Amino acid sequence: MIPQRNNRLIKKLFVPYLTYRLNKAFKMIQHDEVELLPGHSILLLPNHFSWWDGFFAGQLNHTYLKHDFFIMMQEDHLQKRMLFNLLGGFSIKRNSREMVESLQYAAKLLDNPNNLVTIFPQGALQSNHIDEITVERGIDYIVKKIKGNCQIIYYSAFIEYFESLRPSVYIRFLNCGTNHNFDFEKLKAMINEHHKKALKEQKNAEH
Amino acid sequence: MIKPGNNFFIRHILHFYVTWIVKRHFHELKFDAIDVDPNKSILLIANHFSFWDSLILFVVCRKLTKKNFHVMAREDTTVKFQYVKHGGAFSIDKQSREILQSLGYAAELLNDPQNLVLIFPQGKLYSNFVNTVQFEKGIMRVMEKANGKFQLLFAATFVQYLKHKKPTATIYLKTEPSEGKSFEDLKNAYQMHYDNAKLQQTEIVI
Repeated sequence: MIPQRNNRLIKKLFVPYLTYRLNKAFKMIQHDEVELLPGHSILLLPNHFSWWDGFFAGQLNHTYLKHDFFIMMQEDHLQKRMLFNLLGGFSIKRNSREMVESLQYAAKLLDNPNNLVTIFPQGALQSNHIDEITVERGIDYIVKKIKGNCQIIYYSAFIEYFESLRPSVYIRFLNCGTNHNFDFEKLKAMINEHHKKALKEQKNAEH
Repeated sequence: MIKPGNNFFIRHILHFYVTWIVKRHFHELKFDAIDVDPNKSILLIANHFSFWDSLILFVVCRKLTKKNFHVMAREDTTVKFQYVKHGGAFSIDKQSREILQSLGYAAELLNDPQNLVLIFPQGKLYSNFVNTVQFEKGIMRVMEKANGKFQLLFAATFVQYLKHKKPTATIYLKTEPSEGKSFEDLKNAYQMHYDNAKLQQTEIVI
């Protein structure tokens, strides 16, 4: 497992570059509001359908959630782009013994209320058109290992063009509660219900 | 009603420009190989979710056939972007009486086997995530007037990013017999093609 090597200077330099790249590629990133609990770390669970997802999460954190950003990445992907290691990326290798270590590492990061850990619950890249979000069991393990206060937030992102030549990103948040009174089955049901609702809203979105 | 322009130079510049921007914006255009009947014109029916669809389909049609590309566009779009008429756009205004003239013009174009007419039956932009494709009645009038002199082609387009920085557009094409089709038949046939295409798009896991 590769632990994160967060570098504040590199992060400071990367944020404006990311903003520039996102502005170039997308018309806007539109998101709704979610109730943020003070003194809680955040476990952010986005749907995973594109190359850009991690950057959306990073940008959302920078503009809205405002925590220290960490992200769980597949080990082979991280090895190819070790820059992300300096920006808060740590690795996970599925179906290996080290996997538990990575999950424990994520839980440990979430003990600190200043931190935000992004994990893609689907564990794989899936189409943006699906209406079922699979949530891997690892999430259950992580949340139960957290010792501090942690808020769990899911969001569904959709990319659409409409009248513009540049696509827009539409993000809809869901507050999934905290690590106390946590129930994995309930989380799965909540996420799926929210995703279906978000997809329905997206179909009727104004443009 | 605004008819397609006939300026040789502007048309060719537009052809190059559209091909270039589509190539620049998209990682890849994936489409099915389709047999084109050289003795018939083509009526292409497609879903409408962005400004890009006509540009994508323009490039795809150029790769498939050498027929002259025409597209039915809303009056306000054609007025706002005057140059699109040189790319083969003709206008339609749902609210005016000229709508019959526009539909008649589309049918007239289909009489010439050298032409290809693209019509978005939805009549306006919808989300790319919709499950059902709305059909406006006008398409039936075009088909009745053209009376089987064309090859009917269905296109369902989906844009997804997946593992690439740039999006990939997948265009599912299918030829459909046009004779003796009622409005409901046409709608159902397109819906079936669309559902099938959407299912294939949904099943992608990387």
